[in-house]
Amino acid sequence: MRVTFKGVYPATGLLFFLLALNSSIAQTQPSTSQQQQQDQQQQQPPASEQNAPNAPSSTQKEPSLSDLGFPSAETQGNLREQELLDKRSYMLKVHQRMGLITAVPLAATVILGANAGGKQTSSASRDAHAALGSATAGLYFTTAYFALRAPKPPGTPTRGPIRVHKALAWIHGPGMVLTPILGAMAFDQKSKGEKVHGIASAHGPVAIVTAGAYGAAIVAVSIKF
Amino acid sequence: MTTRSFTLFLLLLAPGLGSPLLNAQSQWALDQSTLTYHVSHPLHQVYGVSYAARGKGVCSNGQCNFLIAAPVKSFDSGDSNRDLHMVQVTRGAEFPMVTVRTRLPESAEQSATIQADIEVNFAGQTAHYANVPFQLAKQGGEIKVTGTIPAKVSDFKIDPPALLTVPIKNDIPVQVEMTWKPQG
Repeated sequence: MRVTFKGVYPATGLLFFLLALNSSIAQTQPSTSQQQQQDQQQQQPPASEQNAPNAPSSTQKEPSLSDLGFPSAETQGNLREQELLDKRSYMLKVHQRMGLITAVPLAATVILGANAGGKQTSSASRDAHAALGSATAGLYFTTAYFALRAPKPPGTPTRGPIRVHKALAWIHGPGMVLTPILGAMAFDQKSKGEKVHGIASAHGPVAIVTAGAYGAAIVAVSIKF
Repeated sequence: MTTRSFTLFLLLLAPGLGSPLLNAQSQWALDQSTLTYHVSHPLHQVYGVSYAARGKGVCSNGQCNFLIAAPVKSFDSGDSNRDLHMVQVTRGAEFPMVTVRTRLPESAEQSATIQADIEVNFAGQTAHYANVPFQLAKQGGEIKVTGTIPAKVSDFKIDPPALLTVPIKNDIPVQVEMTWKPQG
């Protein structure tokens, strides 16, 4: 009996080809599935998240963060930098609060300054003005300390209203040094019964410019313009 | 049995070969994106923008899994001091990436609008937002996706930043504009 293999030979050849192909796929598949396993392990959410309606499925290939090509330095957390930022924020919060507190005796000092002159060798309003001025200077330099000592991550550019805030410090900073010195000189001259003269006569204008720059510095970071 | 039907029979029998063919994957890549968060304060309306997001979508069995990620530091509000503070309050140095995951049916690309369930990982917390509407617009082979994620400060256990002792509003919606390209 003659068996005709017509049609079966090609099919048998195809079978061997498929089996060979299948075994080669089987050899290459483990690396793919291992990669998938690694990706899934990397992205495995905590148990509490697995019950979420859109929790990642274990049956489908899911993209992982490593697939996106971000540099590893960009995706890894840095606790030390976080601590630096925490310290910076804390110090700047104190700076902000103390800056606002300082504005109160500063305004009061300027207001009382209007009556600090006069011809008497001593007056209650002049003493109050001097005392408030001293308190303002103390608070001011404490406020400045927290801004100057706040750490800043290296390489961070300064952009936005903070530039105006910082630029104004070049006016109210020296002003806050000069104003008490000039004020002390004026106070001394008045106490001796003299008319305020010389550089001490600049106390008032310097104080007003200083207070104005200070107020503008607060406004610069408070109101968008 | 004819040759053709025998071949088909063998194809179905051949173990492990049929499934990869049936599970053929297609992929999408995020080509361009603009992510914009909006923060409200009585004295300020702040918009922080990032163009640095990257994303990938993998489709198989009629379902697509998408991942979009952006460095927290990449958001620019126009004020370096505020941006540094934003990174601090969101613990952006410790958790430097914000990631968004969603799963959509492959057929969604034919729709003009979709409702997506999304999972946002930010500031070390995971928040889920259900049925977030997104608009889809086909431009050649690309798909432009726009929408807004209704994020809240409290969703991520963030201590709301304050200016002049007044905290920001709890709502921080994130506007999303993305252009996706098919890959491969």
